Amino acid sequence: MISRRRLLQLGGAAAITWPLRRGARLLRANNSPGTAKRFIVFYFPDGIVGQSQGGDPSLWPPTGSETAFTLSDSLSPLAPYQNQCVFFSGLSMGSTDSGSHPGGAKKLLTAADEGNGLSIDQHLAQTVGAADPFPSLYLGAQVNGDNPSADMYISYIAPGSSTPPQDDPVAAFQRVFGGMGTTGGGSGSSSGSGSADAARRLSILDNAKAEIQALESKLGTTEKTKLDLHLQAVRQVETQIQALGSGGMGGATCSSPSIDATGIDSSTLYAPEMFPQVLKAQTDLMVQAMACGLTRVGVIQCAHHTSNLIMSRFANTPLYTPNFDMRSHQASHYGATHDPTNIQYADYVLQVKWWVEQYAYLLSQLAARPEGDGTMLDNSLVFLCTEICDGNTHLHDDMPFVLAGGGGGTIRTGRYVDYGYHRHGDLFIAIANAMGDPITSFGDASSGALPNLLA
Amino acid sequence: MMRPLLAAAWCIAACSGSDGSYDYADSKGAPLYQQMCQVCHGETGEGGLGPALRDETKSQSDLASIISSSMPQYAPGQCTGDCATEIAEFIAHGLTTRALRCDAVTPAPRRLRLLTRREYRATVRDLFGAATPVMQCQRASDCTYRDTCSVGSCEPTACDAQTFVFDPQGQTHTTVHVAGDFNNWAATIAAGGLALAYSPDSGLWVGTFSIGQGTHQYKLVLDEQTWVADPRAPASAPDGFGGQNSVAALSCAGPQPVGDPAAGFPVEARPSTFPFDTDADLALVTSTSVDAYLAAAEQIAAFVAADPSTLAQCDWTGSRATCAQSLLGDLGQRAFRRPLASDELGRYTSLVSGAPDAATGVQTAIEALLMSPSFLYRSELGVSDGNGHYKLTPYEIATALSYTFVGSTPSSDLLAAAAGGELDDETGIEKWARTLLMDPRARDQVSEFAAQWTGAENVLTVDKRSDLFPDFDDSARTALYDETRAFAASAVFDGTGQYTELMTANYTVLDGVSAAFYGVTGTGKVPYGDGKRAGVLGHASVLAATAHSDQTSPVVRGLLVRRNFLCEDLPPPPPTGGGLPPVDPSATTQQRFMMHSASPACSSCHTYIDQIGFGLERFDPAGRWRDSENGMAIDPNGNMNDVERLGTSTSAPFTSEPQLAQTIATSEAGPACFVRQYLRFSRGLAETLAERCDREWVAARWGGDVRELMVQSVLSPAFVERR
Repeated sequence: MISRRRLLQLGGAAAITWPLRRGARLLRANNSPGTAKRFIVFYFPDGIVGQSQGGDPSLWPPTGSETAFTLSDSLSPLAPYQNQCVFFSGLSMGSTDSGSHPGGAKKLLTAADEGNGLSIDQHLAQTVGAADPFPSLYLGAQVNGDNPSADMYISYIAPGSSTPPQDDPVAAFQRVFGGMGTTGGGSGSSSGSGSADAARRLSILDNAKAEIQALESKLGTTEKTKLDLHLQAVRQVETQIQALGSGGMGGATCSSPSIDATGIDSSTLYAPEMFPQVLKAQTDLMVQAMACGLTRVGVIQCAHHTSNLIMSRFANTPLYTPNFDMRSHQASHYGATHDPTNIQYADYVLQVKWWVEQYAYLLSQLAARPEGDGTMLDNSLVFLCTEICDGNTHLHDDMPFVLAGGGGGTIRTGRYVDYGYHRHGDLFIAIANAMGDPITSFGDASSGALPNLLA
Repeated sequence: MMRPLLAAAWCIAACSGSDGSYDYADSKGAPLYQQMCQVCHGETGEGGLGPALRDETKSQSDLASIISSSMPQYAPGQCTGDCATEIAEFIAHGLTTRALRCDAVTPAPRRLRLLTRREYRATVRDLFGAATPVMQCQRASDCTYRDTCSVGSCEPTACDAQTFVFDPQGQTHTTVHVAGDFNNWAATIAAGGLALAYSPDSGLWVGTFSIGQGTHQYKLVLDEQTWVADPRAPASAPDGFGGQNSVAALSCAGPQPVGDPAAGFPVEARPSTFPFDTDADLALVTSTSVDAYLAAAEQIAAFVAADPSTLAQCDWTGSRATCAQSLLGDLGQRAFRRPLASDELGRYTSLVSGAPDAATGVQTAIEALLMSPSFLYRSELGVSDGNGHYKLTPYEIATALSYTFVGSTPSSDLLAAAAGGELDDETGIEKWARTLLMDPRARDQVSEFAAQWTGAENVLTVDKRSDLFPDFDDSARTALYDETRAFAASAVFDGTGQYTELMTANYTVLDGVSAAFYGVTGTGKVPYGDGKRAGVLGHASVLAATAHSDQTSPVVRGLLVRRNFLCEDLPPPPPTGGGLPPVDPSATTQQRFMMHSASPACSSCHTYIDQIGFGLERFDPAGRWRDSENGMAIDPNGNMNDVERLGTSTSAPFTSEPQLAQTIATSEAGPACFVRQYLRFSRGLAETLAERCDREWVAARWGGDVRELMVQSVLSPAFVERR
């Protein structure tokens, strides 16, 4: 059955603040302020108001020229960051199983049919993020509440194998900032010094590694991928303990992280009313984990495709309608035409804009953190995406993608670029290149880094 | 679905043998067919929405050209080149009557099966006994002395508080209170006695009070007259009047009991249309898992190793290595479900002897055991039989038996049986299977299967509008979930044990909360007298989990029946076809959804879905009976058309859920699907055609009896043989 545990004794306190007990001493040469580049995916479900079945034009793209353009109403929450974004038209995920939510979700970050490859976040976790305490962070907001099938997760750790995100911001916060073993009474950390704990944990992980390798050598190719991934995971935790456990507050560059967990507990984690708060907590967590140098690759997944998230329950938003339920996927099937008198259509327009606002909030948090000569946003690459274009036609062409942040000067921002028809895998090559990973192909259909993007 | 991760060696030339046999496990075309073609042409080419392909006479090149130009019909152009060639080869050689003959059962793949969260909890509980709390409870008395039962789970009480529980055993009392040294032995509640509250649902008197750290003596006072010792208290002391006081020792120092050790573990990934948490291929360990495993191992080890003498009777002040060896020989064998190799034993023993003190050393060794792949994975690798196949070792068989029947680690007795050769043949396996079936945990295992198979588990999180369904709260959700679990266990173990009883039983099993929810009197086994409901499909858990927050969905309910009860999927909807018809207060849900039948593009599939859901419209979004909707009478007519297979053009009209359940239960497809679902659940494998003969082997032997299904499933050659 689902877990009903009480998460933390918050004692009425709304915010969880965690002193950096192990110190975020993460000023490695390749991750010092001003040069650290981060990649964050922000995913929302069920598409946007694109070109309708009946031919009404898409409400999404900006209008104007490459450098002089006006944002659509859907994109208007991004106005403060217009000069730090690239807006794309004409990127396509290809025609295979176009029309399908699962098909889109599987190739969204893998650029491969059937999710038959690593997703870009997991690829970067293994290259530029490999030495970080958390090579990547995959956080969800209400993804797992209804036991979704694996095609609803967008992060692929192996070809064909997606994994679920961490949905609980309180548990994720403890994992990222609390150090190991601080999640409850009775942990080893209550006695003994931190470094002794770290040493013991490392010896236990050593033992586990040796046993995994022994098993692997006995098995040959059977279950090799499974054990390779297990070994990789153990090594990641080892890196994390070494980075965090060797002590000292020296060089900490981030103030005490905190998230607002008011009302979030195991019985409310999947309540639709709570969604905005859960998402905000996960967003704050992601930004602070990156600010503290704990990770540089992250995915925030909002719900999942074909979502039954009741967005009309979001208090203090234009979506809010008392005693009336409108779900994400329900609204996205607004019909053949853009008819403002149709409540599904009207609500869908509002829903899409709300998602863009949440992405804008993520950008605002990055932009609020000075770093080097600019802000953290200038050093980041923040990718806005969903698994289909128009919510009713489900096509995988003209995907509504936005890339925000300067990538440390690697991206030519402040532009609206229409690629006509170009496969989206090339965008990931460009992103990887901007992150310092010189790949030349990625996924199924890659002809090199997307042109007209990198500085 | 496509499993590139597990892509074995493909057939180099063709997979067909000279005798017309076909190697489904090594076929490249078979998984492609399963992924793209099966939904319309049938698993074995028997046909369905598309034509039959069995014993196809077209040439392979003709087939390949049809496939690449126009298949799959719902989205052509996906399968050209090698894809089309491979599928054509499979159709020509794999979908022949000869190749499909089950002359032998194909062994299952060699695998490592990661413990699910359920299995991890149960395993830890059974390894360390009372040191960790029972995880699931119906009422407070199911939990250990200091724990409370909160919405189905035992939770530790705060370290300075005590939960008192009194079971009146059916007797009626006016008051029950606690008197002790912490409240001056108050004789009455007015004088400061701590009053317990009676819960009609659980039949217990319960109260949690902060009485402060320290060792306290107390008694329970019934009706402010009769002073009795607390039968649940683990310790007592003379009361000076010839009786006994109960003793509660509360301390906030030292390790605290572990709550749910698996609470922080990632959820299990599920293949599409595979309703279970057991799939072994998708169960992969990430760094999130390792973090969570480590945190859980530390908590468990700190708690159970605080006093090593409780784990192993030994003079720990003497030779620590000797004590460690004896502890780890035993605990290690139970944790790894096989004896430790001597190098392993040496390594774990040195973790103990190398530590600053015995408790720290034992703690480290236990953490290491719990982080080992030999603990985290159930091994189903076997040893080579010299003929290209493998046979599970006796310890692997013991492990598979135990997790199959009781969802947990094998007992010492079962491991001893493995060591003694008792599991070397079918007779021994069958004897143990029937023994394990008597274990009370087997009931939980059946309950769990039923909750996942029917989708009832989703009632725990499904949303209902509180203004429309004010009493559909967490306690109702839990009670409805418990209803399905309790009913399944009861039907299988206390009733006939027949699949048909699960489907068509004229009773259910309720507690106080679910009885109140349904508006019926009586708890326990409650008969239906009105013909409105029968079997699991009539449970509010199932009906509510397949409805939206404010309205029913004939589509979701219909799909549940097709997928979970008949094991039949449908092609994806055309891109522009989805969505709900708009809310219309002047129409019933059925009238709103009739639009699916209006358009031929929709009706070609929706007639197989919505017609089922229409006949369940008498159940509202919370799963309660209704006669009307929006002031209009409900049309109760549904149709379980094409029950055996899509495209067979049969009709089975029904006007009540019991009639629908009867149609499914007496069909061939219903019981066959049940066997398939149980094998998915217990084998942890999204089946391919290679698994078909295993299923047929079991299906030929279970006789419709669920317990027999469980037993026969472990007698099939696929249970012990690996490829």
